[in-house]
Amino acid sequence: MDALTQIPLGTQVLLGEKARLKRRVETVVTGVFEGWSYDEIIPPMFDYMDVFERGVGAELGKKVYRFLDREGNILALRPEFTSLVAKTVACRMGGSPKPIRLYYSGEVLRYEPPRGGQQREFSQIGLEHIAGSRLEADVEVLVIAIEVLTRLGLKDFQINLGHMEYFAGIVERLGFEPAVLQRLRELIDIKDKISLRAELRRLNLNDRRRDTMLALPDLTGGRTVLRSARDLASNERSVAALDHLEKITRTLSALGFARHLTLDLSEVRGLEYYTGMVFRIFVPGLGFEIGGGGRYDALFSNFGAGWHAVGFSFSLERLMQSARLKPGSQHSLRSFKLKPHNLRRQFAEILKERRSGRRVKLG
Amino acid sequence: MLTVAISKGRLFDPSLEMFSKLGYRVHSREAESRKLVIADRRGKLRFIYVKPADVPVYVEYGVADLGVVGLDVLLEASPDVHQPLDLKFGRCRIVVAAMKGSNRSNEQDGVSTLRVATKYPHLTAEYFTRRGVPVEIIVLSGSIELAPVLGLADCIVDLVQTGLTLRQNGLRVVHVIGESTARLIVNRASYQLRRERISELLEQIESLLAREKTA
Repeated sequence: MDALTQIPLGTQVLLGEKARLKRRVETVVTGVFEGWSYDEIIPPMFDYMDVFERGVGAELGKKVYRFLDREGNILALRPEFTSLVAKTVACRMGGSPKPIRLYYSGEVLRYEPPRGGQQREFSQIGLEHIAGSRLEADVEVLVIAIEVLTRLGLKDFQINLGHMEYFAGIVERLGFEPAVLQRLRELIDIKDKISLRAELRRLNLNDRRRDTMLALPDLTGGRTVLRSARDLASNERSVAALDHLEKITRTLSALGFARHLTLDLSEVRGLEYYTGMVFRIFVPGLGFEIGGGGRYDALFSNFGAGWHAVGFSFSLERLMQSARLKPGSQHSLRSFKLKPHNLRRQFAEILKERRSGRRVKLG
Repeated sequence: MLTVAISKGRLFDPSLEMFSKLGYRVHSREAESRKLVIADRRGKLRFIYVKPADVPVYVEYGVADLGVVGLDVLLEASPDVHQPLDLKFGRCRIVVAAMKGSNRSNEQDGVSTLRVATKYPHLTAEYFTRRGVPVEIIVLSGSIELAPVLGLADCIVDLVQTGLTLRQNGLRVVHVIGESTARLIVNRASYQLRRERISELLEQIESLLAREKTA
């Protein structure tokens, strides 16, 4: 192997225009976060593996780059930020005024095949809103996500809004084995109604319950979805989830964002840590989601603090692919052809240009 | 216009036939040409013709909104896509097959390592390791039946339609892993961004399947 010419799969180098674009997009996004009075947190690049397992669970844990320190502790390169934010907030910010608003921007590493513009090392940019009121905080983070996309010149993005409690309420009393529940989730997620029907037949559900489960894959669309969802489930948890979504969508629609919203109660994939509202964001021309987030009220209790929280993150690389930024204002440029004699006089001239803010290029 | 990735090979004709029954016809002259991108006559769908194993790739990346592909390919590639419809055609079995009279494919043995030739390495590894059978997988891309005949492998994991090729080469089915039919798959982002157009197409296909079932 020639370490000078080969590269490890999943790494990349950004140069010139690409690097400039990345920083510009980052500046726009962090500008929005700052504009909503979020404070930046810059956590370490690595921490104990246990922190990430407490945070996002075993599933992502498999994709973590880990290594041992000299004492034999298992360390991990961060695969995401939320766990690190939760650790910091739970252990050090107990006395801070609530809610706590934090944002982050930086590289994360995951051992998975590069896909959709994301290498094994890629950049996440996002925020966490901790210990606030649920409804207000959920609306706030959605409005911020919309502002980010709008400021990046994106017009036709879609936010798919779901709620983990809707499905949780439906299956609560059915007492499925975890493995069966997992299989049902998978089938609903890939929208395979035929296999779902076969699986349900095996489970001997009554007609009403079976029809409810079978309707789940199609519960996505405009606000009428909420009405259909209400017809299907009358248990307390599901109804509370629908009431919550109703309030969010009513507010966002009144603000003129209705065309960006899709309700999606078929969202049952159940990323382990989400407990309430969840969303994924799609933009035309990108086959993968550009970002997403949701509420994870249980996550902080794993770190010893009982706060609820909501947050989202974008893939910075995917934002770069989709952003339609107007060309930045170019500072006027002055070129200098340097000659070897009397450098002092030439650089004095150059420094004068720099002090007035002009871009210089030395030949 | 929606883009549909169609598997070349055995699913090709039945796929186009299904779309043609729904009114999405392509000119026969074009269908027989070597063009890889063809729009239907009404300009509603654009078909791209690709190798079966590439269909999930095109769909996962959203270059194609939808795709028609065998379940065998999906099991092998595990793409992150919606899989709403079993199209029922292209029915095949995914089997373990070995030479007649050979006992080298006996899974129960479980001690000696089995050599398995296949073009489905993931599916094969999954199947045997789940049963605790040690395997060495030999990845081939065609004429899999040849491997046990020449002693390259103890058995094969392959797709079988009629079993004729197996019989002609002195092989028999040892175990049926599963059944494969053509599936319709949909890109996750397209499903949301072009929902109306896609749901309409899904409904058309579903009602066609229902009609054919009762017929």
